[in-house]
Amino acid sequence: MRALGIDLGSRQVKLAVMKDGKLEDMRSYSTMSFYRNYCSYREGIRLDTKALGLSDFDMAVSTGYGKNNTNMADFVQINEIKAHVYGALAQTGLEDFMLLDVGGQDVKVTRVEKGMITDIELNEKCAASCGRYLENMANVLEISLDEMANCSSNPIELSSTCAVFAESELIGKIAEGIELERLCAGVNHSMYKRLQPMLANFKGRVLVVSGGVANNAALTGYLANDYDTVIKLDNPQFNGAIGCCHYAARLASKKVLERHVE
Amino acid sequence: MKEKIGITTTVPVEAIIAAGFAPVDLNNIFVTSNDCQGYIEAAERDGFPKSMCAWIKGLYGACMINGIKKIVGVVQGDCSNTASLTEVLRLRGIDVIPFSYPHERSAENVKNELDRFMKLWGVDLKSVEAVRASLQGIRGKAILLDELTWRESKASGFENHLYQVSMSDFNSDPEVFEGELDSKLCEIEDREADEPRLRLGYIGVPPMMADLYEFAEQQGARMVYNEVQREFAFPRAGYAKNIYEQYADYTYPYDIDFRLKEIKKQIEERKLDGLVHYTQAFCHRALDDIIIKSRIDIPIINIEGDKSDRLDARTRLRLEAFLDMLCDRKEAL
Ligand code: SF4
Repeated sequence: MRALGIDLGSRQVKLAVMKDGKLEDMRSYSTMSFYRNYCSYREGIRLDTKALGLSDFDMAVSTGYGKNNTNMADFVQINEIKAHVYGALAQTGLEDFMLLDVGGQDVKVTRVEKGMITDIELNEKCAASCGRYLENMANVLEISLDEMANCSSNPIELSSTCAVFAESELIGKIAEGIELERLCAGVNHSMYKRLQPMLANFKGRVLVVSGGVANNAALTGYLANDYDTVIKLDNPQFNGAIGCCHYAARLASKKVLERHVE
Repeated sequence: MKEKIGITTTVPVEAIIAAGFAPVDLNNIFVTSNDCQGYIEAAERDGFPKSMCAWIKGLYGACMINGIKKIVGVVQGDCSNTASLTEVLRLRGIDVIPFSYPHERSAENVKNELDRFMKLWGVDLKSVEAVRASLQGIRGKAILLDELTWRESKASGFENHLYQVSMSDFNSDPEVFEGELDSKLCEIEDREADEPRLRLGYIGVPPMMADLYEFAEQQGARMVYNEVQREFAFPRAGYAKNIYEQYADYTYPYDIDFRLKEIKKQIEERKLDGLVHYTQAFCHRALDDIIIKSRIDIPIINIEGDKSDRLDARTRLRLEAFLDMLCDRKEAL
């Protein structure tokens, strides 16, 4: 059983290939180049698997950002939240946890109990708590995201809730001559503080973190104060695509497929 | 016309009816009115705080707006907020007759309380038993309706909810109510069976937002078990030797173990795929969720209602995701 999973994000398209439960391939493309180079339009979006050098799938599942762009022909489309939860379920083997997914432009928090989604909180409107914010701030500080992600001690206070204001505040702090480490830690900590209100209704024992921002060790370190266990998924930015692969495996069970074909 | 006696929840209406009065469930007046918000408003204007359960405010509004003069208030076993509510109602000149479901559910305790209650109404056991017997026909019909829901897949979850919840006061007129139930049963029996994709149970107090039922059906899920509503209808009354046994066998006001036993039995019998546990904002029963989730194996989603009589967008999204995954699980088996 070979499955293809695609997560059509707003800025990146992530793709995973799984054979008999084992990941064979993971790739990401900028959304722009993905559509331009690998898709054509004929009654829906057609994926040129040949051009991608991918073939021989038993099942293909896609998920997407919001309601856009998910209309891929020959793919079973599933809800994005569900894709992420299936990814986390399969990768952690847990049935009860909170899932925090911080992507480039959106944040999703999900409560999973007995393997089912029971609560959801979404932020798709404000970029101040998303990966985009970290990228901007790293640019201002002229440092790589990876380097910034390791700074957590003695953070400076960035008080504003808005990403635009935070940037000017940061520039003020640079002018004050504060050392780079503390500035970086301040950025990471401000991100953590913005996530807190979203997590207020999602207290629990285990937090699973996915999305590109899960790679930010400072952030997961701060989160570790609020949960007994914080689990960072491997290849966290591919969680949606991986979830699609696992769902595809389930679809192999005929009955589930019937519902989608109905 | 018989004088109406407001009740704050299910109470031994047999005694009230035997005394020649017509019980009216204040919850039903409140929740079926076109102006729920107005009832809540009325209570808030009279000083009810924001952080108070909307049902309590609704009960208060229902009394005030409908000129109810006398009520039976359940001061133990149901809700400590109701106990305080009855004090405020007294202050407003309403005559309050207290009733308690004893903390410890023993035949003796229940008997003592019922004897006291009957005495307050000036009725004896014989006349109360006569009323109890006369209500057995309607109770049987409620059971039939319930079976048409879970066994035959003909009645909707909402019908199951509505007719059973109405059994707390028989819409103030058992005879008329029985007639309505009869014609509803005829209509339902004539339908084709329509097996839902998912079989859900609804547990907890009846919902503030009745569109929950319709929303669930739109997702292919039907509430084939309405826990508390069914308890209001006393489905096991036929096995009770007397009124004392009947009210000792009512699950909701007593300890949670007793309640869970019945829920578990129904999960098995009705082959439920999942549960919706409804709790009300600012209600102590929200804590039940902890126990229920740890003692029941099937998936449970807790939804909380407050003042609104419509499902909000967030709750819809949550329910949709929950039911979607529940479907996956069921169909992948
Ligand atoms: S919902 Fe809770 S607080 Fe409100 S009346 Fe019922 S038991 Fe009392």
